[in-house]
Amino acid sequence: MKRKILAALISLSLVAAAVTGCGGKTSGGSGDKGELNLFVWTEYLPDSVVDKFEKETGIKVNVSTYSSNEDMLAKVKSETAGAYDVLNPSDYMVAQLIAQDMLKPLDFEKLPNFSHIGESYKNPSYDPGNVYSVPYMGGAGAIAVNTDKVDIEIKSYADLFDPALEGKLVVLDDFRAVIGMTAKAIGYDLNETDPEKLAEISDKLMELKKNVVLYDSDSPKSALISGDCDAGMIWSAEVAMAMEEVPSIEVVYPEEGPYLFLDNWVVTKDSPNYENALMWINFVMDPDNMAMILEEFPYLCANVDAIEKMGESYSENLAKNPPAEAIAKGSYVQNLDSDVLDIYSEMWTKLKE
Amino acid sequence: MAEKTSKHEFRSNTVPALVTVGPVAVLLLCLVVAPLILVAVMSFCSTDEFYNVVYKFTAVNYTKLFSVDYLRIYGQSLLIAFVTTVICVLVGYPFAYLIARNKTKWKKLLYMLVIIPFWTNSLIRIYGWRAFLGSSGWLNKFLMMLHIVDEPVDFLYKTGTTVLGMVYCFIPFMVLPLYTAIEKLDSSLLEASSDLGAKPLRTLFEVIIPLTASGIFSGCIMVFIPCLGYFFVSNILGGGNTDMIGNLIERQFKSANNWPLGAALSIILILVTLLLVKLYQKLGGDMDSLGV
Repeated sequence: MKRKILAALISLSLVAAAVTGCGGKTSGGSGDKGELNLFVWTEYLPDSVVDKFEKETGIKVNVSTYSSNEDMLAKVKSETAGAYDVLNPSDYMVAQLIAQDMLKPLDFEKLPNFSHIGESYKNPSYDPGNVYSVPYMGGAGAIAVNTDKVDIEIKSYADLFDPALEGKLVVLDDFRAVIGMTAKAIGYDLNETDPEKLAEISDKLMELKKNVVLYDSDSPKSALISGDCDAGMIWSAEVAMAMEEVPSIEVVYPEEGPYLFLDNWVVTKDSPNYENALMWINFVMDPDNMAMILEEFPYLCANVDAIEKMGESYSENLAKNPPAEAIAKGSYVQNLDSDVLDIYSEMWTKLKE
Repeated sequence: MAEKTSKHEFRSNTVPALVTVGPVAVLLLCLVVAPLILVAVMSFCSTDEFYNVVYKFTAVNYTKLFSVDYLRIYGQSLLIAFVTTVICVLVGYPFAYLIARNKTKWKKLLYMLVIIPFWTNSLIRIYGWRAFLGSSGWLNKFLMMLHIVDEPVDFLYKTGTTVLGMVYCFIPFMVLPLYTAIEKLDSSLLEASSDLGAKPLRTLFEVIIPLTASGIFSGCIMVFIPCLGYFFVSNILGGGNTDMIGNLIERQFKSANNWPLGAALSIILILVTLLLVKLYQKLGGDMDSLGV
């Protein structure tokens, strides 16, 4: 018995040693060019682009991924300061990171490729004057429909609540996106805060419960391609990728105006590799490199010169390059007070129980 | 001379004990006790507008735990864990019996069959199930080839699929303690039972099962408890629409970013676990056979 305890303790300490060994990311470990720790969305950055950067600069890049802004925030806060150099937050999360003083202002002298970014994407409301962030890619919470399998016509978020779609939907595993979509379906704002309206939204959300069989933010296209789901509200580029695999899948931008997002590059305040971080951001803003990324992950792109390089196969594809009218009608997620978010959280728990 | 005294000192138990167990004890203090205390303290805190933990006493998290929705999720988790455990016993017992009573060269192979899945990460194996059970997966292709069904059957994203995944993940934890218990079973007792005229079924219920009850107990504990805390099976195979306590806790620490509430939920899970282990001891379970 005692021996067993000892064996257990020794193995525990070995595990502990292994774990702490993994946690300690130090800069300048390999080679004299140093390291760069990227923390990006899943399915958002091709390995080939990272390899190219490593080859060109000699910097060792470590990529970690996340599948929601909130996960990212929790992870960054729980890691030691400076564990990640570059983050990839969406619009509202940039504002939150700035408000918490977690970011370092960008040195634009080192970012000449910023000139390739479209004027409409510069100076966003979440970061006036682009002090801390440069835009990367974005898109909409678009509707994907497999027209071979769905008989009803789907034009809006409200149509996704149709009982005919029972057990057929995949939606993002993202409470702001799904609750926002429900609010829009009954004519309210994506960022609704009024408790009475939220109660109505909560009731409406219960209608969605029967229809949704899968909550997935990592790779929602997979369930559409495999045929396990026939429709859903997923990232627009994921629809584009599903369309390439299954021709009967179509993209629909909801009449109510879609949920929109725009992801950015930012550098953490405690980043030990600030220069490398800037090199990375400048590298991905290069139109050729950005085009490489778009080939693999065809999202809405803030880099106008990269779009030009992509040609019509990108710019004429509705799922890859959302139409301007849809964008104009759409809305972004905004930061809400924590007591309102508590209500959102409760609604989400009800939906998923 | 001086050397001799120091040798003498080493014969006392304190120094060797300190040297061998000391570091481990420190590690345990740092990695188990301290985090647990932190979790307990955090469960009485709240968060500010940026989700940062505010260290000021409040019991609000514990009042939240008794909301109808949470109670429903606890009930659901207990039910899923219970059904999983029952299926594990029903499937695991005959299998463990087969391995333990097997005298042929197949014994080792059968035993290995239980161990081999551990060589692959369980997350990957669960994704494997998703590919296998999907509309265009092998199972549906096979069923359609045999014309048993005309259209793909929706196996995925149901509570039953979650249970299947759980059973798959935890069956080794049931088989191994059962195997140990059955292995110890004295076969002369079985002979005596049949000599005295007991039919096989009676021998099973009055001799074999009572004598291997400790294995069943420890297997149940080792399946039921981790089952309550698992979250990825219900996410991947259940589609994320049948939450368990584990999902609730995971969400508080990740997307909902409410660590104090997550901590309070964890404390509840720990209490439930302690309660079950106590129950196990009360029923005569042996802590050693839990392998801890």
